[in-house]
Order: sequence, then structure tokens, then C-alpha cells
Amino acid sequence: MNWKIFTNGIFKENPTFVMMLGLCPTLAVSTKAIYGLGMGIAATLVLLGSNIFISMLRKFIPSKIRIPAYIVVISTFVTIVDLLMAAFLPPLHEALGIFIPLIVVNCIILGRAEAFAQKNGIIPSMLDALGMGVGFTLALLLIGIIREFLGAGSLTFEMLGKGFTLSLSKFDPMIIMILPPGAFFTIGLLMGFFNYLSILRRKQINKEGDK
Amino acid sequence: MKNLIISTAPHIRKDRSIKEIMWTVVIALIPACLMGCLIFGLSAVRVLLISTCSAVLTELLICLIFKKNITISDGSAVVTGVLVGMNMPPVIPWYVPAVASFFAIAVVKMLFGGLGYNFLNPALAGRVFVMFAWLSAMTTWQKPSPPEWFMKFFNLPYVDSISTATPLNIFKYHGMDAVVEFFTSKSSMYKHLFIGTVGGCIGEVSALAILIGAIILFIRKIITPLIPFFYIGTVALITWIFGGNNGLFTGDALFHILSGGLLLGAFFMATDMVTSPITPLGQIVFATGAGILTSVIRLKGGYPEGVSFSILFMNVLTPLIDKIFHSRLLFNIIMKKKNKVV
Amino acid sequence: MRAKTFFKGGIHIPSYKLTAQVPIQRLKDPKRVVIPLSQHTGKPAKLIVNKNDLVTEGQMIGEQDGVISASVHSSINGRVKDIIEHPVPILPRVQSVVIEESPEVQKDSSSVSRKDWRTLNREEILSIIRNSGIVGMGGAAFPTVVKFSPPQNKKITDLIINGVECEPYLTSDHRIMLEYPDEIIEGVEIVSHLLGVKNIFIGIENNKKDAISLLSDKVKGKNIAVCALKEKYPQGGEKQLIFALTGRIVPSGGLPMDVGCVVSNIGTVLAIKRAVVDGKPLIERVVTVTGSIVKRPGNYIVKVGTLLTDLLEQIGGLTEEPGKIIFGGPMTGVSVDQTDIPILKATSGVLFLSRKEALLADYREFFPCIRCGSCVLACPMSLNPSGLSVLGENERWDEMKSLDVLDCIECGCCSYVCPAKRPIVQFVKIAKSKLRRIV
Repeated sequence: MNWKIFTNGIFKENPTFVMMLGLCPTLAVSTKAIYGLGMGIAATLVLLGSNIFISMLRKFIPSKIRIPAYIVVISTFVTIVDLLMAAFLPPLHEALGIFIPLIVVNCIILGRAEAFAQKNGIIPSMLDALGMGVGFTLALLLIGIIREFLGAGSLTFEMLGKGFTLSLSKFDPMIIMILPPGAFFTIGLLMGFFNYLSILRRKQINKEGDK
Repeated sequence: MKNLIISTAPHIRKDRSIKEIMWTVVIALIPACLMGCLIFGLSAVRVLLISTCSAVLTELLICLIFKKNITISDGSAVVTGVLVGMNMPPVIPWYVPAVASFFAIAVVKMLFGGLGYNFLNPALAGRVFVMFAWLSAMTTWQKPSPPEWFMKFFNLPYVDSISTATPLNIFKYHGMDAVVEFFTSKSSMYKHLFIGTVGGCIGEVSALAILIGAIILFIRKIITPLIPFFYIGTVALITWIFGGNNGLFTGDALFHILSGGLLLGAFFMATDMVTSPITPLGQIVFATGAGILTSVIRLKGGYPEGVSFSILFMNVLTPLIDKIFHSRLLFNIIMKKKNKVV
Repeated sequence: MRAKTFFKGGIHIPSYKLTAQVPIQRLKDPKRVVIPLSQHTGKPAKLIVNKNDLVTEGQMIGEQDGVISASVHSSINGRVKDIIEHPVPILPRVQSVVIEESPEVQKDSSSVSRKDWRTLNREEILSIIRNSGIVGMGGAAFPTVVKFSPPQNKKITDLIINGVECEPYLTSDHRIMLEYPDEIIEGVEIVSHLLGVKNIFIGIENNKKDAISLLSDKVKGKNIAVCALKEKYPQGGEKQLIFALTGRIVPSGGLPMDVGCVVSNIGTVLAIKRAVVDGKPLIERVVTVTGSIVKRPGNYIVKVGTLLTDLLEQIGGLTEEPGKIIFGGPMTGVSVDQTDIPILKATSGVLFLSRKEALLADYREFFPCIRCGSCVLACPMSLNPSGLSVLGENERWDEMKSLDVLDCIECGCCSYVCPAKRPIVQFVKIAKSKLRRIV
């Protein structure tokens, strides 16, 4: 079990902040933290399924028609997740709306299929899918928390009546944060911040290497 | 001969510095700030102080955190801070001007490289940011409440219903006639608009004070009248042609010139050197474009005031304008013509 | 007559003509001279004397090597002491001939008999100019014989004599116009005979009204027009001069001959007359020594190769330690780091700035470009100095080519007006040297 593959998806090659994939659903869905979490979990499940299956079938799919083949596999899993969500989590399903079927063309899933699943075994592909999915979910959560807190004045984590709400009274919310510009600002500043951290880390590694 | 200085030519230079330019702009802004404080009272003073201090502190902090040279003494942060404050309504919670200044300096200016690298006018971008963040706060106006001696000094006709709405608001939602009715007569309307005893943002209400500041800028050769002339001229022309309710050519251009943030925008925001084109021809295109946009938004758009959006939009177009209307354009055209003839 | 001018750009700068009313004074011959073999654009002259040779004043010591080159002559009687590499204003090492006065050499006082130039044909006059080592004395030092031999397909119709002297502080051209007007007019006629032109202009800036009226009198009845030009820097730039006097625009990357013009400095014209009529090669010139810290500023006839140290000693020295020493004018001159530098054929003046004056134009710290546009308005070649300075700061030399950096005349207007104190001309110079190496 090469755990490095798993952590790769969370830190070194985080799909949102490093590889900048799947930004469209990220921007749209992160208006509330719970929606971000829901989308992240849905995408992770699809990613898991598609990576495993494509890895299993990688020796049989001819190279020339691999993309349509991947789409077929991915859309199968998306449909499953879509129907499951509609059945068990209707409010989330309604909130995410069109972005659930759009998971099919989420670059993360297609990208990992192409870059990893078609070249590696089942277990590594599974780890990669989990890593990427968790990285995506964490990113969505982070962005969603910031946007919802600043933009709505409170944080509401609830689904089907169960959950909690964090709120700061006397806080006049900045509505712009839940509007599209706020999404771009948040992602941009977070990306800049993580880049800065990795530059600092690299400087530290170089310093230690010199010693 | 020891310690001789070596450098490339030229070895003489005009005695002009960025510091001088920026602080002259601050001085030119003082009349409008004073008028705003006189008309709206202490709340205006508070807003201006908060916005200026926030801008300067933000720049100082960022320079310290990222270990750059401290640049607050060149005056550009003060200019941005004062302009942000002038774009705020007088009664506004403290965090609105503070966040607007912070955004203007930290995001629009410093993140893109500091002085000379901002791609938008920082004060306007800050203002638009907080307008979308706290819309209701940014559209809550205060009744102008100048002291008695002020009204007597300027011989202003007393208007019974000086209220909180801005003239442009009344124009947008109730038409030109309602505005005139509000001020009881056209001459009273022009007088109030010129002196500034109307609802609106602190620095934009007094046309008189802004013009005094503009004259200071012209005398000290900080700006040329090119951009203001074309910007105001275009707005006047379009609102005259299309802004009336009795058909074409019946609009009240003077009303549109004096109201809202047009004068402040034309003289102090659109002329911001970093974000406007560098060639005179480009500046004409820039100013005309902004004028068209402002008029369209005011007459047909969804917002009562269009100056901020117009200027920001043209700021974004400035690199393109500079590319098309570059300094050698005229030279190239003449040479092409000569080659055809010869 | 109404004063003309060029239409775009330019700046008004104080003229500091401290020495405009000081008559020309001849200095004693220096005891030693250092004569570089390269005082001109093009290939250095080929050495034709050896160490310990005895040479006379006016004897050729280096001959022209190739088409774009010029010959070099000894400016004093003496013995060749050494042939070494010596610093000159721009370069640290140029092969030079050091000549020291020697009692063994007698001054040649016999006069040279010359045929009347009106009887000489074009080739003969050009040959005299070639053998006299004449180069452009306005500063560029382009070999005159090459300038006056345009290729067959370029028809020359206008001769423009540059008496503008737009640089502050410099007054040597002004004084020679006042004190040698007849020789100058004769020189103009020689050049006009040589080139066969239709129109002749002498352009003089408006701040030299005495020279304008004197020369206007002298050209009465001749086919020469003396034109007053508005006082604006850089009125003396050849492209600006051509536009002001003829209305023609030199194309980008082109030369004056592309629009049928030849522009020549008025000092060069005087030297041509002296070479063709009096048989004297280019071995001396009028140099303006000026600055607020010079004890006796003035216009002096200096032998080519005189070291600045010796020149300074002869005229009494300075009142305080200088901050900057500039060969040429303050807008385009070269600053030097010592005084053992020889006066060259094209050195029109030496300017001494006090430390305080020199620090007013300190480039060591500059600010980001705030795009104020002052430079764009000031540029007489319609370039974008702001864009060039930003590209230059980031060492993007190739992109500067597409901003027409090769058309820059390095007049210095942009750096002069820049409130951010940016060294724009320096970036242009670096870009040109890098681009010319690639191209």
C-alpha cells in the first residue's frame, strides 16, 4: 500500500489548488459549506468507481477510443450517485442541481482516468482516487466555509434536520462573497497562500540540503 | 579627482518626483473633503479618517510582512485612502470604508506589484467591492445638514424637503420633472447641485470644491484637461440628445454633469495615470468610452449612477487601447502614405 | 523671419550658456598629446609611425583603414614617445600615439600654396577632406568623406548646416559663427559645390540672435538661407532639423540621404574650409570648458589629444572638487572617471558639475514607472519611453525591438522629465548593443 499516492492527491497535487482542475463546479457549488461537502463526496464516489473500473479494463480498451469508453464508465457511476442522492438526500440533490450530471465532464475524473488509472493497477488507482477525492472535498470545504461564513454571516452544517449552526451575531455579512466574484477572490487568495507556503517549504528544504 | 560620479546621459533632470505629484493630488482633494464634512458633519470626518488610516496601515503592514521597502511616504496610499472615503455615504458602519481601503491597497495594488502595476483604479475597485458586499449600507444616504452660516454664505434657497435620496436616484425612479419639483425650481436645483447640499457620497456632492481641486491640478501640471474634457463632454452630449423626455435634444446635460460622481470621477479617477492610456489619442478614446458607458448606465441601465463601472471597465481596456493607439501610430500612417505617393 | 520648429515632442530646458559672450582664446601648445587612433565611427586608423619617430604638426600618423574610417594627424611638433592603450571618454582602452614636444623638431612655418577650390572637381576636394581626417564635429564623429559620398541612387537636393547647438552649456559653435563667419560661409560654398545641391540652409537656434543677424548679412546675395529656429531641445537633432527646415520625415531606420538631405555641423564646415583652402588637417578645435565650478570658463582653441589635466592646469583649474566631469553636453555627454583623458576631434565641450549639481540626476535609485506619460509627450521620435523602460528593467531586449528602440536618437528628453527618475536612455543603450549583436 503506497500511501504516498493517497497523500499526493491531498497536498502535492491537490486538484483544486495545484492542478486547477474542476474549478467550474468548485466556484459554483461552494456558496455553502454543506453543498461543497456533498459535491466532494459525490465526486469522490464517482472517482473511486471510475478509477477502479478503468484500471480493471485498461488492458482491454483500445487506445483510439479510450475517451468515449471512459465517459461511458464515468456516466454510469454519475447516474448511480445521482439517483442515490435524489432518493436519500433530496435537499442536497436540489441544491446541487445541474452540477451533479456535470460531474461526468469534471476534469478531475477524466484527468485521473487518463493520467493514472489507465497505467496503473487496481489498488494504486483506488488510492489515487481516494486521495484526489479527499483533496477535492477538503478544498471545497475550505472554500465553502470561508465563503459561507463571510457571505452569509453564519455557518450552517445541516442535512435532513440534523446538524449545527455556527453564527456570529452583530456581523453584517459581505454578500459579495457568495456571489461569483467572491468565489474567484477566495480561490485566488487561497491558491496564492498555498503557493507561498510551498515556496517557503522549498526554501527550507534547500537550506537543509546545503547544510 | 576622487569619487567622480559616473552615469549615462542625461546628467541634468527636471525637478519633479512622484512624492510631489501624489501630495499635490492630496492637497487638490482637500477642498472637496472640507465641503463634504461641512455639509454632512462629523460622520463624514470619521469616514474619511477611517478610510485613510486603513489604506496607509494596510500598505505599511504588507510592506513589513513581505519585507519590501516601506512606500507609504510617497503619498499614493493616502491618495487612495482619501478617494475611497470620498466615495462613501456619510453614515456608514466603520468596517465598510476600512474593508474598501484594505481591498483597494492589498488586493488591487499590492498583489499586482505595488505602485505602477495596478490594473484597476484602486479606490473605485474598493468602492465597487464594498458596494456588492454591503449593498444596503452603501445606498443609505444622509440628509445634508450644513450649518446656518453655510446656507447664508452661499445664499442657497431653502428647500423644504431636502431628504436622503440622491438626485440621480430621484431621476432614475421618478424622472426629471420629479427632481425639479423636489428642488422647487430649476435654478434652485442647479445651485444646490453646484454647491453640494444634496444627498450623495461625501466627496462627490460639491461640484464647486471639485472644480477648485481640478484647477489646482491643472496649475501644477499634474493632469491635462484632455480626459476630463472628453469624458464630461461625451456625457453632456449623450444626455442632452437622449436624456430628455420630450424627444431628442431635450435632455438636461447640466444636471447630469453636476450630479453624481461624474466630476469627481472625471478629474480624479479617470485621470489616474497608471490605469489610463499613455498616449493623448488613447486617452481621448478612453474618456469617450467612459462617457458613453456612464450615459448609457444612467439613462437606460439598472443603476442610478454609472461612473464607477464605466471607469473600471475602461481601465481594463487600457492595455488594449495602448496597443492599438500606440505612440507611433501617426508616424506609421504618415510614412505609409508617403510610400504610396513615392 | 518667423522661427520654425519640429512638431512632435521636445522639451524646454534652461540653457546655462555661461560662456556665450566669452571670445575664443587660443591656448599654448601642450607639452604632450595622446592621440587615439579611433576618434570616429568606424574602423580605427592604421598606424603609420613608429616609436621614437619625429613628427611635425599636421603630419598624418594613422591612415584611413577601409571605407568607414578616418585618418589621424599629429597636432604638435615632437617625438613619438610611445604607442599605448589609453582611455578615451567612452572606452577604457584605445590604441593611441603619445607625442611629446621635442626641441629637435622645427616648426614648419612655410605656407602651403593651394589651388583655388573652385577649379577642383568633386573627387579632388573629397580627397583633400579624406587626407585631412575630417569627421563630424557635432559629437557623432562620422567620417565626413563618407557622408559626402552618398550612393548613386540617392539624389541630394538639400544641404543643411547645423548651427543649432541646442545642448545647454555648450557655446563653441556660437562663438565660431560670431568670430569666423566668412570662413564658415566659404566652407558652406565648398560643400555645396561638392554635393551640387539646390537648397542650402543654415539652422541657428533663436537664443543666438547675434549669430543669426551676422550670418544673415554675410549670405546676402548668395543662395544660402539662414533660418532662425525655435529654442526647443533637441532642435539640433538631424531628423528634427530636417523636418523643421524642409518638412520631410526620415523613415524609421533611415538616414537623411533617404529624403535627399545632408546635414553637417557648422564646426565641420569650418574645418573643411581650413583643410581645402589653408591646407590644415583636423588637429585643433574650439572647446567650451564650462560649469559653475570652473575658475575661468570660456571657449578655447585646444589641440586634439590635449589631456584634460593639462588643459585644466592652463586655464586655472576649478574652485572645488567636481562631482562629475562630462565630455560633451549635459544631455548626451559621457561622464569620465579621471582627467587624463584626451580632447578628441568631436569633443565640443567639457562640463564640470559640482557634487550637489551632479546628485540632482542620481540614477542609483529609481521608482516603478507610474505611466504618467510625460516621456511619451517629450519624445521627439514618437516612441514610447515608458514601455521601453519597463521592458529594459526586466531585460526583455527582443521585445524592445518591436517598440522601435533602434530609432531612438538618445537625446535624453525622456529621462529628463521622468518623475520616477528612471534611467531610460541607459536601458535603450543596452538594448541597442544587445540587439545589434544578434542582428
